[in-house]
Amino acid sequence: MEPIVRARQLEKVYRSDGIATPALRGVDLEIYPGEFTAIAGPSGSGKSTLLHLLGGLDRPSAGEVWLEGERVDDKNATWHARLRLWKVGFVFQAYNLIPVLTALENAAFVLELRGVPPAERKKRALDALAELEMQDYAARRPNQLSGGQQQRVAVARALAAEPAVILADEPTANLDSKTGRALIEYMKRLNREKGLTFLFSTHDPRLLEHVRRIVHLEDGRVVGEEVREA
Amino acid sequence: MWSLAWKNVWRGGGRSLVTAGAVAAVVTLILLMYGFAGGATNGMFQNLTRSTGHLVVRVKGYDRIEEFDQRLLYDLEDLKASVQRTLPDADVEAVLEVPALLAGTSRSRGVVLMGLEPDGHLMQEMVDRYLAEGQRPQPGRWQAALGQALARALRVKIGDEAYAFAPGTDGLGAGAFEVSGLIDLPESNLEARTAVLDLADAQALAAPDAASRIVVFLPDLKTLSQEKRIDEAKAQLTAALPEGYEVLTWREAQPALAAILDLMTPMLLIYAALFFGLAGLLVVNTVYLSLVERIREFGIIIALGADRWKVMRMVTLESLVLVLSGALVGGVLGGALLYRGAQGFSLPGPLAQQYAEFGLPVVMYASVTPTQVVSVFVFAVLTAIASALWPAWLTGRLEPVEAIRHVA
Repeated sequence: MEPIVRARQLEKVYRSDGIATPALRGVDLEIYPGEFTAIAGPSGSGKSTLLHLLGGLDRPSAGEVWLEGERVDDKNATWHARLRLWKVGFVFQAYNLIPVLTALENAAFVLELRGVPPAERKKRALDALAELEMQDYAARRPNQLSGGQQQRVAVARALAAEPAVILADEPTANLDSKTGRALIEYMKRLNREKGLTFLFSTHDPRLLEHVRRIVHLEDGRVVGEEVREA
Repeated sequence: MWSLAWKNVWRGGGRSLVTAGAVAAVVTLILLMYGFAGGATNGMFQNLTRSTGHLVVRVKGYDRIEEFDQRLLYDLEDLKASVQRTLPDADVEAVLEVPALLAGTSRSRGVVLMGLEPDGHLMQEMVDRYLAEGQRPQPGRWQAALGQALARALRVKIGDEAYAFAPGTDGLGAGAFEVSGLIDLPESNLEARTAVLDLADAQALAAPDAASRIVVFLPDLKTLSQEKRIDEAKAQLTAALPEGYEVLTWREAQPALAAILDLMTPMLLIYAALFFGLAGLLVVNTVYLSLVERIREFGIIIALGADRWKVMRMVTLESLVLVLSGALVGGVLGGALLYRGAQGFSLPGPLAQQYAEFGLPVVMYASVTPTQVVSVFVFAVLTAIASALWPAWLTGRLEPVEAIRHVA
């Protein structure tokens, strides 16, 4: 099977005031369709950087990124925007919903960017909210939702767009452990039932208990990988 | 995206309200300015054409001819009939202007004796309208209505005799006229050198059966925007009249005053651009602050797949929503005030008198053309777009990773 996401010798060096700070030092990674993979590592290990590079949010200093068999890292900003719009779903750590939009409008936002007709995007957004058991909160604005609920809306936003892969950057970091575990459970169910490919980062070992594949990252390097039995 | 822009604009609360309010004030002000200027311009146009007519027929090269008798239209009745045939709806009247010396018992002045038809518009305009004392000159009674300033200079009053000398002409050359009335003309210079006679008396004095010009009044011409009809009538008349005559529009007859009216449009456009420029600074400020406060949000939007052009469009849309909201409110407010002004308004007392000197009517009627209304909204749209350029450019340059991490 072809990997859906592939990174080869991926490097990223941040430069500021002439000081070079390496964030990734030659990462190789392959993610296959339908996988539910966690990238684990302490703060500063390069988890977010890796997800940003894989999702076309940033450019690597060296190495290659491939998505669905197409090379990503050598393309321009407009191409990357199209990639994110059509193939990658993002869930960020700080909810990052648009505050003036309702949960339904937030869930439908990517579809609106794609130019999906209103009726269709509403249906798809409602379906996605229902998958996350958020349909009763569709008319609420982010400030009327708890942190866990907001993050479920963020997952619904990614889900509604039916991307090739959902990249979640520490999606539970701002949630208490119970809510965080619940969110991971929602993501796992979507992975199981809909075959959605998830790649998420976390530094919380308690969330990794039921994850099948875990890639350990430290100081910008892959230092280990666990594949557990289902 | 319009809906998102609308919501984003009004989350700014007071700041957006103040900016939209400023735009509304500018739109109201400009509409009022257009309305006032339109009323003034139309009033001046009506005032001017009341005293000059819409068209004038005279001897070709009139301005270059110095001899009084060579400036005259001798085949007056035929000419009038020809004009009337060509423009059957128009009022046609003859005017004879005689340069003369007018004397009281002890003083004399160089004047222009204006011979006007008793039933004509000009007699009403020059005498009836501004009659301060007495009555208009009666036909066949050798009467004259003098400007008040002229009467003061000659030390004559109603009932006195004034002696007119017009040597070197084909008429009697001299005559005694009873002062029948005093007129208070708005232009004091004109008042000091004008005496109005009945046309037949003026002809008997200086030019039997002749006139200096034929004045044509076209019906139902109230605004400057109807001027095209005057040009059409001029073309008709020029084609109908024999060689040796020229037809002038009021504009050609009064080029200086017409130029003043023509200045109005560019001046108004400059004022409108200035006002919108000032409002635009406020809009730039509001849109920019809104961007600064939402860098992280724009980062998310870019991360979700909006390209740079799309986010730039979002910023521009917000600017448009902000400005057009204000413009609509201003349009409604300005429209209501214009409606009131269209019923008639006048400037405060002393100001009205001052402006009357320049031919401005005391009562004016606010008037705007559809083009002017459209131009206000075009200005508003241009202001919105221009104000959004810089903030939109900045937004388009945001790097999503940095923007997402931004802390306001």
